[in-house]
Amino acid sequence: MAADRRPSARKRNAGERAWAVAFASPYLLHLVALAAWPLLASLYFSMTDYDLVSSPKFVGFDNFARMFSDGLFWRTLGNTAYFAVLFVPTQTALALGLAIALNQRLRGMALFRAAYFVPVVSSWVVVAYVADAVFNPQTGLANQVLDFFGLPAANWLQDPALVIPTLAGVAVWKGVGYMMVLFLAGLQAIPEERYEAAKIDGASAWNRFRYITMPGISGTTFLVLVLTSIETLQSFEQVFVMTDGGPHGASELTVLHLYRQGFQFFQMGYASAIAWVLFVLVLALTMVQFRLQRRWVHYA
Amino acid sequence: MRKTVSYVLVTAGALVMLVPFVAALSNSLKSFAQYIQVPPTWIPDPIQWDNYVEVWRRTPFGLYLVNSLVIAILAVIGNVLTSAMVGHALARMRLPGRQALLTMALGTMMLPTVITIVPNFLLFRSLGWLDTLLPLIAPYWLATPIGIFLMRQTFLGIPKDFEEAAGLDGANPWQVFWRIHLPLAKPALATLAVFTFTTSWKAVLEPTIYLTSPENYTLPVGVLSLKGQFVGNDQLVTAAAMMSLLPMLVVFILAQRYFVRGTMSAGIKG
Repeated sequence: MAADRRPSARKRNAGERAWAVAFASPYLLHLVALAAWPLLASLYFSMTDYDLVSSPKFVGFDNFARMFSDGLFWRTLGNTAYFAVLFVPTQTALALGLAIALNQRLRGMALFRAAYFVPVVSSWVVVAYVADAVFNPQTGLANQVLDFFGLPAANWLQDPALVIPTLAGVAVWKGVGYMMVLFLAGLQAIPEERYEAAKIDGASAWNRFRYITMPGISGTTFLVLVLTSIETLQSFEQVFVMTDGGPHGASELTVLHLYRQGFQFFQMGYASAIAWVLFVLVLALTMVQFRLQRRWVHYA
Repeated sequence: MRKTVSYVLVTAGALVMLVPFVAALSNSLKSFAQYIQVPPTWIPDPIQWDNYVEVWRRTPFGLYLVNSLVIAILAVIGNVLTSAMVGHALARMRLPGRQALLTMALGTMMLPTVITIVPNFLLFRSLGWLDTLLPLIAPYWLATPIGIFLMRQTFLGIPKDFEEAAGLDGANPWQVFWRIHLPLAKPALATLAVFTFTTSWKAVLEPTIYLTSPENYTLPVGVLSLKGQFVGNDQLVTAAAMMSLLPMLVVFILAQRYFVRGTMSAGIKG
């Protein structure tokens, strides 16, 4: 009897495995076509000269050497870093502040949350026109407000010194609702009893924030910081749509530079080299953040 | 007291969020003369509703809309179906190398899009898919890491009894998945659906790279292309931009709770 049952059990297991592989097959294909291929191919193309017409010509590290002497590339890295330094902390702090303000039973809470989410679901093309209504130097709201307070008008996106701060401001406006919802989830995961116990012990509001809320949401804060910095290093659509890198390259970000090299000048090899450098930067930044988290993130 | 402070803060914030949209909406209803008038008028006089009609008359807005809708709907169907399948395999089936696959899914989630731009372009070029809608749809039919995680988590939470009962009736794994597990996962499926719809609807980079003929443009790329054609008619382009947001807003209002749930459970964009 036992000898009879075993082969059929084995057959059934093999059948189950076949089903499982069939179910997982879309992702197996994904791993090959959309993960392994791009990683290896871009590494290969980064060491070639490839204009899409003639076949790729191997040039070793020429593209990387060129990048190091490409002043524009360094400038775009500087612009990207400047944008990130303004954008990431501002958005994180504002999102946290809003989440704390919203983390209570307020009437019309869903409505407020919806208002903060409208920019999140808008494409950058829509946001470009919305931002124009605000930052157009002649007809925009922002200069009207400045004028009302007797302050001089600014040129916002058309001023090389102001363009990155203005872009960062618009990016915060667009993204803060999303990060706020992440923080809300983090805040709601902190057990209510901790606050009650602290109140009984007579802890001040500041101390409750400092010693309960802050450690409680440090995990979320970490996630938000990692996500936004990865995203910011790769920022493309906003500048592509709003400034096209101008004025005079003041908002030319690295991925926009990559896009031009690849899809306007058809230098796929050079574009791939830029992509790999950015990839390594993103990885390094993520690893540094993961390393630093041990110092300040508390998982309760 | 604390509530009052919160209300003031949150209302001020909501105004900051919405007033720019109202200003843009006002711009879209102006004549060009009023559009460039300094100082600006807040309420257009007269209100030119015709701008919206003009957009439909003078641009292929309808085509852009259809393209965006076709892509978004097929992307949603593909991503929901395949992510659910893979999530199901990871959560409920005897998949060899399950742990390795899970780790790789986490790895691909961290894979920056920037590395994929050039190779994917070359891949779709060799398939002859450039200037078609396919490169904007097909990747969603290979499951997305975020969808896989969401679905795996959901299927892990469904009690075993259900499938055991079905197994007795001689149902095959597809039937268990399709008839028993999928209906129980509806909220997660809806969450993934709205998430995918939004990502697809907002995309600028991919359609810019893959589409060259205006009749294939999606709404963001199409509206962007109007900018160059309608110099001196910016109010029309603003109207087109406002209209391109409308379908997204409808989806958002109908499915708001899934947006919030999606953000909270997944916490990752893209």
